Amino acid sequence: MIATYIRVEFARHFRDGYNLVFALLLPAAMYFLFGNIPSYTDAEVGSGNVKFYLMVSMAAYGAAVSTVAIAGTVATETMQGWGRQIALTRMTPASFVASKMIVAATVAAASAALVFSLGAGTGARVTDGWMWVVSYLIILSGAMIFACYGIGVGMLFKSESALGLASGLMVFFAFFGNVFMPLEGGMLDAARFTPMFGYVALARYPMLHEIPAGTDMAPDPLWIPVTSVVAWALIFALFAVFATRKAKARQ
Amino acid sequence: METLNRTEAVTLTGLRKTFTTPRTKVEAVCGVDLSIHAGQIVALLGPNGAGKTTTVDMILGLTQPSAGTVEVLGLSPHRAVTSGRVSAVLQTGGLLRDMTVRETVTVIATMHGQAGRVAQVMDRTGLTAIAKRKVGKCSGGEQQRIKFALALLPDPDVLILDEPTAGMDVMARRDFWENMRSEASNGRTIIFATHYLEEAQNFAERTVLMSHGRIVADGATEELRKLISGRTVSATLPTEQAIARAQAFDASVSIAERSGQRISFKCADSDSFAQTLLTDLGAWDLEISAPSLEDAFIQLTEDAQ
Repeated sequence: MIATYIRVEFARHFRDGYNLVFALLLPAAMYFLFGNIPSYTDAEVGSGNVKFYLMVSMAAYGAAVSTVAIAGTVATETMQGWGRQIALTRMTPASFVASKMIVAATVAAASAALVFSLGAGTGARVTDGWMWVVSYLIILSGAMIFACYGIGVGMLFKSESALGLASGLMVFFAFFGNVFMPLEGGMLDAARFTPMFGYVALARYPMLHEIPAGTDMAPDPLWIPVTSVVAWALIFALFAVFATRKAKARQ
Repeated sequence: METLNRTEAVTLTGLRKTFTTPRTKVEAVCGVDLSIHAGQIVALLGPNGAGKTTTVDMILGLTQPSAGTVEVLGLSPHRAVTSGRVSAVLQTGGLLRDMTVRETVTVIATMHGQAGRVAQVMDRTGLTAIAKRKVGKCSGGEQQRIKFALALLPDPDVLILDEPTAGMDVMARRDFWENMRSEASNGRTIIFATHYLEEAQNFAERTVLMSHGRIVADGATEELRKLISGRTVSATLPTEQAIARAQAFDASVSIAERSGQRISFKCADSDSFAQTLLTDLGAWDLEISAPSLEDAFIQLTEDAQ
């Protein structure tokens, strides 16, 4: 029953070009824009170059935002009463959410894959092949945290504008999560507590892990981004559960 | 109890629902007791805000009662719904605008584990011709037919319809009830909420009248009409003297409306009053009418307040 639902979900997203542009093309375009400034993008960073660093950042941003957007369709669909319709079938709310997660993960995977192949084609490089694979996998699994965030906001506010706000906040999270440009000093200290910091730091860890501590661009010790990711995963998961319960009670 | 439950499609006992918002407390349903036998066709009739939709939602397990119990075919609402023995046409939404008609029916069918019934149900509800159309492009009547198809997918024993003809024009409404009639002949229990008196009158054998969260009347639809005693007898009378004599016929006769010589009388014994009018008083153009359900409805809801 999940398979049929997922197939139809994909058909819907493909017909709706608007979502696809934001999920697939925007991160790719952003990489293309920032990743091809000749003055610095070929400079060495850790085990690779700045292009690889930017590619990982943009892929992580794109995967997270498209996950929020698709998970957030739970909101518009609840608003249109689709949740009530599903409640009258054997499908449990858990499998409804699970099928949304699978669709979100697939679109996030496609979005990140597009940025990665653009990177590969335009000279992003690292010394070891495994760094490509591990960074990609971290981006994918980490993006799922933000599905909980999207579902939570959707369930709580049930409106299109709430979804817009959720996505808008992602840009904010990205800026203050050290995703777009390297932060320093007090800003960086504060950034460690924002939701995207640990996620993008983990995704960059493979290429940066050999930089000796204390030097420029050296990554935080591994426990910091891991703690951040685990904590935010818990917070968003609890938020999603709380918001869903609240939405059910109001129905 | 076991044998009783087997013939009861829906049993509501002391059902209450209170919605609390920070400022106010709204009692949507305040103490409803109702049992509906299997195979009955019942109308839940009442104005907007009477508590019909809340009651329906509680029967379907979509809303948890604040107090009281709901049993559907001897099961909890949730079990009855997941086993596909009860289904419903919901009033609010329920469809995604960017799905096609066929996608919508197929998706819900697989959620019921009834993928094999898609073609048959779409045929029966006349959706095959518009299968590829997006739901958002369908008319109100067509969308209502899609919801009806979704409700038929699990082949339910109890079918609940909440304002099923809302947003339909007269023709679409007629077609819809025509279709319903054939579905009803299969021994299904059908419960429909409506504020169209005409629909209760034409289609339901039993009408439950709700107002302000309470049941104010419950009985055979015909009985309900008789709840208002008396008939209206209208006739044109030749002279003022005849009119005076007609008024003096018995204590129950009174003039309800008058325009010129055309007079509408209210009376208890319409047969003998009519006979007197025609034979003794020289009246013509005589009409006798029973009060409509609407009259009964107005009187009953006023009494309940």
